Amino acid sequence: MTNHWIDIQHSDVIMCIGSNPAENHPVSFKYIDKAKDNGGKLISVDPRFTRTSAKADMYAQLRPGTDIAFLGGMINYVLNNDLIHKEYVVNYTNAAFLISDDFEFNEGLFSGFDKGSSSYSKESWAYQKDENGMILRDDNLKDPRCVYQLMKKHYSRYTPEKVCDITGTDLNNYLQLVKTFCSTGRPDKSATIMYAMGTTQHTVGTQNVRSYAMLQLLLGNVGIAGGGINALRGESNVQGSTDYAILYHILPGYLKVPTHTNTDLQAYLKKWTPTTDDPQSANWWGNTPKYMVSLLKAYWGEAATAENDFCYDYLPKRSGNYSYIKLMERLQLGGFEGLINMGTNPIVGGPDVQQIAKGLDKLKWMVSVDLWETETSVFWRRPGADPKTIDTEVFLLPAASSIEKEGSISNSGRWAQWRYQAIKPVGDAKSDAAMLDMWVKELKKLYAEDGVFPGPITDLAWDYGHEEEPDIDKVARECNGFFTRDTEVKGKRFKKGEQVPSFAYLKDDGSTVSGNWLYCGSYTEKGNMMKRRGLEDPGGMGAYHNWSWCWPVNRRILYNRASVDLDGKSFNQQKPVISWNRATRKWEGDVPDGGWPPMNEPGTKSPFIMIPEGYGRLFAAGLADGPFPEHYEPVESPVDNCMTAQQCNPAAMIPADFFSDSDKYPYVGSTYRVTEHWQAGAMTRNLPWLVELVPDMFVEIGTTLAKAKGLKNGDMATITSARGAIEARVLVTPRIKPLVVSGKTVEQVGMIWHFGFNGLAKGSSANVLTAAVGDANTGIPESKAFLCDIRKGGMKS
Amino acid sequence: MSRATISGEPDAFLIDLTKCTGCRGCMVACKQWNQLPAEETDFFSGEGYQNPKEMSENTYTVIKFREFEKNGHSIFSFYKEMCMHCDDPACVSVCPVNAFHKTPEGPVIYDAKVCIGCRFCMIGCPFDVPKYEWSKKLPLVRKCDGCYSRIKADLKPACVTACPSAMEYGPRSQMVQIAEERLKRHPDHYINTIYGKDEAGGTSVLYLSSEPYEELRFPSVPERPLPSYTWPALRLVPGIFATVVTGLTALTLFNHRKERLERERNKEKEAEQQRTVQAEEDKS
Amino acid sequence: MSITQAIGKEVKSYHWFVQLMLLLVLVGAAAAVYRFVFGLGATTNLNDRYPWGLWVSFDVVTAVPLAAGSFTLGAIVYCFNIKKLEPLIRPAIVTGFLGYSLVCVGLLVDLGQPHKGWHVLFFWNLHSPMFEVAMCVFAYTTVLFLEFLEPVGEKFGWNLSLKVLRKLHMPLVIAAAGISTLHQSSLGTFFLIAVEKLHSLWYNPLLPLQFWMSAISCGLCIIILEATATHKWMNQPNEGVLLRTIGKILPWTIGAYLVVRVFSLFFLTTGPLFDNPVMTRLFTVEMGGFVLALLMFSTTAVRNNDRLRAIAASVLVLTVILHRFNVSMFGMMDMNNIYYPSMTETLVTVGILAAHILFFVLIAKYFRIFVHSDGHEEPAQSCPSASAYSHG
Ligand SMILES: Nc1nc2c(c(=O)[nH]1)N[C@H]1C(S)=C(S)[C@@H](COP(=O)(O)OP(=O)(O)OC[C@H]3O[C@@H](n4cnc5c(=O)[nH]c(N)nc54)[C@H](O)[C@@H]3O)O[C@H]1N2
Ligand SMILES: Nc1nc2c(c(=O)[nH]1)N[C@H]1C(S)=C(S)[C@@H](COP(=O)(O)OP(=O)(O)OC[C@H]3O[C@@H](n4cnc5c(=O)[nH]c(N)nc54)[C@H](O)[C@@H]3O)O[C@H]1N2
Ligand code: SF4
Ligand code: SF4
Ligand code: SF4
Ligand code: SF4
Ligand code: SF4
Ligand SMILES: [Mo]
Repeated sequence: MTNHWIDIQHSDVIMCIGSNPAENHPVSFKYIDKAKDNGGKLISVDPRFTRTSAKADMYAQLRPGTDIAFLGGMINYVLNNDLIHKEYVVNYTNAAFLISDDFEFNEGLFSGFDKGSSSYSKESWAYQKDENGMILRDDNLKDPRCVYQLMKKHYSRYTPEKVCDITGTDLNNYLQLVKTFCSTGRPDKSATIMYAMGTTQHTVGTQNVRSYAMLQLLLGNVGIAGGGINALRGESNVQGSTDYAILYHILPGYLKVPTHTNTDLQAYLKKWTPTTDDPQSANWWGNTPKYMVSLLKAYWGEAATAENDFCYDYLPKRSGNYSYIKLMERLQLGGFEGLINMGTNPIVGGPDVQQIAKGLDKLKWMVSVDLWETETSVFWRRPGADPKTIDTEVFLLPAASSIEKEGSISNSGRWAQWRYQAIKPVGDAKSDAAMLDMWVKELKKLYAEDGVFPGPITDLAWDYGHEEEPDIDKVARECNGFFTRDTEVKGKRFKKGEQVPSFAYLKDDGSTVSGNWLYCGSYTEKGNMMKRRGLEDPGGMGAYHNWSWCWPVNRRILYNRASVDLDGKSFNQQKPVISWNRATRKWEGDVPDGGWPPMNEPGTKSPFIMIPEGYGRLFAAGLADGPFPEHYEPVESPVDNCMTAQQCNPAAMIPADFFSDSDKYPYVGSTYRVTEHWQAGAMTRNLPWLVELVPDMFVEIGTTLAKAKGLKNGDMATITSARGAIEARVLVTPRIKPLVVSGKTVEQVGMIWHFGFNGLAKGSSANVLTAAVGDANTGIPESKAFLCDIRKGGMKS
Repeated sequence: MSRATISGEPDAFLIDLTKCTGCRGCMVACKQWNQLPAEETDFFSGEGYQNPKEMSENTYTVIKFREFEKNGHSIFSFYKEMCMHCDDPACVSVCPVNAFHKTPEGPVIYDAKVCIGCRFCMIGCPFDVPKYEWSKKLPLVRKCDGCYSRIKADLKPACVTACPSAMEYGPRSQMVQIAEERLKRHPDHYINTIYGKDEAGGTSVLYLSSEPYEELRFPSVPERPLPSYTWPALRLVPGIFATVVTGLTALTLFNHRKERLERERNKEKEAEQQRTVQAEEDKS
Repeated sequence: MSITQAIGKEVKSYHWFVQLMLLLVLVGAAAAVYRFVFGLGATTNLNDRYPWGLWVSFDVVTAVPLAAGSFTLGAIVYCFNIKKLEPLIRPAIVTGFLGYSLVCVGLLVDLGQPHKGWHVLFFWNLHSPMFEVAMCVFAYTTVLFLEFLEPVGEKFGWNLSLKVLRKLHMPLVIAAAGISTLHQSSLGTFFLIAVEKLHSLWYNPLLPLQFWMSAISCGLCIIILEATATHKWMNQPNEGVLLRTIGKILPWTIGAYLVVRVFSLFFLTTGPLFDNPVMTRLFTVEMGGFVLALLMFSTTAVRNNDRLRAIAASVLVLTVILHRFNVSMFGMMDMNNIYYPSMTETLVTVGILAAHILFFVLIAKYFRIFVHSDGHEEPAQSCPSASAYSHG
């Protein structure tokens, strides 16, 4: 989230697109309701009429996988009707920047595409620069090579008629919605976008999000109260887990994982530390060396010295894509000896799960650390498997649940809140930290005995006490970071062992340790900031700066320097996030993105400090699949792409042997959640009170498809895709309607993905049907749009 | 000290259905607080994701789903059903042994120790709230007790505490006021009625809705308190008894008096006759 | 000869019909035991939608007016001093006593907490029609019991207590009439709480009055049927003349009822009347029954003919039964979700009915309840109670 939950109340228009907060983030509705009470409008854009749609002032139905077309039309509308927040767009975004003459877009492909590797080389997507390295710009937004004009041209193709032809949305509905949302380009209006998996689980997932961001930048809605693009995070601590590097390509604090070409620290830092020639750019990532060295010091402590590159050599280097789909592909090829599932249930939650399950058969050993006996932990018992032929040795370790342990948990609004232990772990259960602590200690012993390359393990700075439960307080202190010796930074003197007050004081000389620079400030000399529960709210804006702590540096709304005009005056006087006090020459309100003075004063910096050029990117050269979002059909689609001849995202992650058949599987399938169940279901399908509410795997279809297939409410049906077949009870509902796409009627088959063969409530897993195809940038599987068929009767019939 | 003793009036629930997302946290919280077992369900037992079908001995509150089309728009609505904690409750009035009791704090509570299990409360309640332990050999009645034990401990009801968006709890007049303010501020959002304000003579559960209540299948209930329908008849009981008894006594005495008089007259006549006969005999 | 053998021998001597009744009673009792072992939910078709079923509708709501003969007749005989009906009194009291006792039995089977039934006497709720009815049923059963003690006393020759009882007789009769008025009508009050639940064809504020008035007609008709039956099957003299007198009363009681009923329907009812075809049909049959009975009793030829009179009485009794079912069951039914009694419920109710007949026959067999019995028994004049009845 650029903003935070409480801030949603300040929105004039809230668009839930690709998310269903009423069902999946019910508490958010407290703030959505507040916004509505204040006259705000709620818009729901979803293929189905959900519990969120039920609460919305406006609802638009769209075909799964067509958000870019939907948003493209909105961008086109804003540009055509000049509804942009001009001052904002010119001063804070890269709209005025000139793009290389080599950049072009042709028949669905951006310049630089290489068919062989299905990837782009991005040289032609560069800014034009002068001899001093300064980017060329046209503040009148007239130059045909400026981002604004390129964008205008690109999206002029997204006329409302064309859009609705692709998305299947009712044209009038669409126009009305677009008008409402795009009315917030005025400085005194704000709109927010709440998105989640309906947006991201596509082969164009990242570009979907990009399209939201572009629209919000054009309307001047990023950085302001009630604005932003807000990812409604999923698993309760998924924000924390990404901050702490659960993904294969990042280290804590979103530092890059070294690749095999980053042969030493110098090479690594050179490659990943962005530079700028613009003195007005803060280029915050320019601090990468300080953060990286502090992290290495956190890993290897005393052993990490300037002489040995702070043990950089100990870091594993990656030589390819280790995203989920790729790992699972390798698993199926017998590429792993062992697997640890710590709080995950891949043979229910992964794509094309039958294949993943078969991959597990090839393991020598597998460990599941979970609260429950998950499907994965008993994979050999799955229907159709023959346990006699499976040799995997399996261990199920009982994990303590969130209420049985202490620690921080970060919510979508980046607030790291400390939680206390409510009860002792039941039975033999142990916290994940305790298990990891035991493993590492044991590993250290073993590696010390006869490790092949023992250094990375034996040298690990691992000192969290000798109790069974590691001292989680020590972990938090290390994450924040401390000084390894008496030092002076920025004129301030610090003692050895003192906590680093904020990441501004981190150093690249080994004098500081920080396990995660983003969390530097969360545990200072004043104590554990995440434990704070202050209810003061001086600005009355619901920022609650004394309630827990949020990264970065307790800033509640990111890019808040863009919420003010060039003089530092809030665009919206009614709902200021920050404003410049000329008398004190200080910012008031939220913690600003850097304390530099307003844009009209010398010594200022551009507001988008994490971006090397300092401006919000309408044109983004960093992505794998193009600088502008472009509509492509999902990998499995019942229709041809009517924008260009390029059917689907050319850079998407698609296995070579992928096949599909739109004649055999004519319906658009999608998977989603219901309030009553959690994810792969172990946590809820074992609880009678929740099973009572949703006892069966079910599939939702509209009345027309039901009639065509002779299906009645409650019937059992079999749903098939090119990957497999499942059975489910049929919910016939007027809330799902067929869509007319390019003159063709397209029926939808929606289903929950919470079920599996084990537990109190059992049922087929929807992921038997989904394809292991992934987004070009993140590799997230396309679970929201695939092709399927449905027929009456269970699988045996 | 409980809340009502401070405010001096019963507390009420305000359930704003325009803010209810049908998340059913309230249902689970209720089961958890009251330690009620889950029911066996199969698929869904009503529109939408309805489950269980209705309140029961093991389910004190249920979210009723409605899904239908109206003017070409989908309507998907959620309505929390629970005891209404009527101001003048039918269940209290019909129970032959006073097992129900309206507390000053608002909740209508039940004393299992005195209940004889006649189920008149179930017939009487206009909202069909009291449910029976059909599974037991010697069944009792069960229903939402407004989390009275929590109220006594100065906590809010479990369902209110769990509800992310739709419920408020506090002194009834204050709840009515909040509801009226919402109606005034957003007249286009709401049906201009606070259900429960006057229904059944007023209840401690108040609703706001954007859809007409009948469309959500709220029970249609008279505005008069239900006991006011039986009391006029029952009030007459002593009078009728007195009238019938005195009337019949009088009638009996009267009818029998005539008879006695006649008998006496007959006797006299006989005596007279005898006397005359005697006299005549004597004469002769 | 052991007691069991003696009983066995005695039972074997009974008429096959009596034996059948005995069997039904035993089956009914077994069903009642079954209900307690397995619980109400498992053994009945009752549920939260239909918390009251056959047992309440028949064993309580209907059985009470069926047992109304004794209080009506008592009042007519003593209060209006229509002495010629006297011979019908004792059988009516027996019927009433049996009826009410069995109402209590029915209630106990139906109650979830029968062991706490006595609570009604201690936790008073003056606002509850059921409290009212329970108190009355309790009081009235006691009254009937005391009245019934007379033939018992005679049998065992308890002279002293007989004297006391006879002294009490008049107050008891009047109390009985008063109490009956209250509970017969309060049974109607039960359903006044079901404002939006009971169909408007039956729901109106005068329901209690209607219950009372129809109970009077019903009680009288029961007397007619009982006398006719005992004449036919139990060798009792034909009380035809007396029954003719009752027949003359009936057009007035039925007529008055109909006036009140029609008045309430047109002037006191608020909801829609003929919106549900099933309800309309039930209502038509019911009203037809009342009108038919009225017409029949208004016809001298019917009144004077034993058979026709009995038929007319049956029509009315059946109609009142239908009325009670309409009010307590059909009129509250949801047409998409019909209640019908389970086997257990049916067997218990049949058992209770059979018990009524069985005990009546047995009591008649072992006690003197027919005072105008034919010659080979003691002559009427020597029957002490005959004079007792006219002591007032
Ligand atoms: N109760 C509950 N809450 C949860 C979870 C849970 O399992 N249960 N899971 C948590 C997790 S980990 C996550 S990531 C979040 C996910 O939260 P959400 O993203 O809200 O969850 P989904 O239901 O998967 O998808 C949201 C909606 O996207 C719609 N949709 C599908 N395809 C498209 C599309 O192409 N475009 C658009 N605009 N919409 C589309 C679906 O119909 C669905 O209603 O929820 C979290 N919260
Ligand atoms: N078709 C389809 N597939 C999807 C999605 C979709 O929308 N459609 N959504 C995707 C998304 S967004 C996500 S996040 C994934 C989720 O996929 P998974 O992460 O595999 O699913 P969960 O069921 O959340 O698994 C978490 C497990 O952790 C256990 N657990 C809970 N607390 C603890 C703890 O403290 N310690 C340990 N060790 N274990 C614990 C739980 O019991 C549970 O079994 O699924 C993805 N799969
Ligand atoms: S489950 Fe927890 S995190 Fe999710 S909405 Fe509910 S309270 Fe918030
Ligand atoms: S809703 Fe029913 S049970 Fe609840 S207080 Fe009112 S009458 Fe009693
Ligand atoms: S069932 Fe119990 S609580 Fe209900 S009316 Fe009868 S005695 Fe009272
Ligand atoms: S008030 Fe308490 S008992 Fe009643 S519904 Fe809410 S949680 Fe359940
Ligand atoms: S908890 Fe609140 S929002 Fe959720 S279903 Fe219950 S009343 Fe509605
Ligand atoms: Mo997720």
